[in-house]
Amino acid sequence: MSAPSISVFGATRTDLPASLPQFGHIRRYWDPLHESFAAKLLPGEYYVTLHGEMIVTVLGSCVSACVRDRASGLGGMNHFMLPLDRSHGESAWADATSAATRYGNVAMEMLINDLLKAGAKRSNLEFKLVGGGKVLAAMTDVGAGNIEFIRNYMRTEGFAVAGEDLGDVYPRKVHFHPDSGKVRVKKLQSTRNDTIFARERSYLQQVSSAPQTGDVELF
Amino acid sequence: MKIMIVDDSAAMRMIVKKTLRQAGFEGHEITEAEDGAKALAAIQSASPDLVLSDWNMPNMTGIELLEKLAASGSKLKFGFVTTEATADMRARATTAGAKFLISKPFTPESFKEALGPFIN
Repeated sequence: MSAPSISVFGATRTDLPASLPQFGHIRRYWDPLHESFAAKLLPGEYYVTLHGEMIVTVLGSCVSACVRDRASGLGGMNHFMLPLDRSHGESAWADATSAATRYGNVAMEMLINDLLKAGAKRSNLEFKLVGGGKVLAAMTDVGAGNIEFIRNYMRTEGFAVAGEDLGDVYPRKVHFHPDSGKVRVKKLQSTRNDTIFARERSYLQQVSSAPQTGDVELF
Repeated sequence: MKIMIVDDSAAMRMIVKKTLRQAGFEGHEITEAEDGAKALAAIQSASPDLVLSDWNMPNMTGIELLEKLAASGSKLKFGFVTTEATADMRARATTAGAKFLISKPFTPESFKEALGPFIN
């Protein structure tokens, strides 16, 4: 017999399990509707969870990789888009080594590294890919570029895609349950989601204007 | 010159190789390994002059590889190319004898700056 569950709508649960130390900045809460703890990602963020907790985000032209260790149920999600890379014109996303692609690789690597550090095994990783909608009114289809990148990346790394919901014209709300591997995608009516567009535009500007380089330290 | 690239990501190894060329370091013999343990085994036969290594990798991390090499008396030139670089990591890298640490994402310019003194 399982213990009776009590859901108190609108109530705040105080027993939020601790997150891994590097994710203290991620917004986490009790979701009474799904009767689950949840971590909500904004553009540019990623999160790894050890225990019964879902990861939620809303995607326009950004993409998220929902990644889990099939054996242990450890899982994580990122939420990113590639910067506009004018140095390569339209081919920047197809070029596996352009500055834009480097940025995408780092977004994937940070998530995978933290999963491995938490105890996941590379050979157990299961990938589901979501997002990349053509939702921003712009000459360049940012979503298509993000999809092209993530497909190339998966191929190069030799990772299999267990499931995907990519492209089209809709923003998406994603619920990822690493324990079960289930990814639920709700397509949203694009006209009602100005906040998503504003956030993504500002994120795109931020990643495109920041120099695509880290530090060099000489010892 | 023989350069070994150690990274568990095939995509990242490809980017590092291309960036070496873009930074003007051409005509070098490049070998690859996908984790520290494989690199350690391959270093015997490949005898590289310089190792460019990721930090976080399965089986054996980049710092464990460097520490093992240092303990065996190796004078191999060794630098890190990594996404994560905390103060503790930098201190441990310096102690173990690393020559530089390049943070990802990097540019050909950052490669020129870090590798210039070691690549002829």
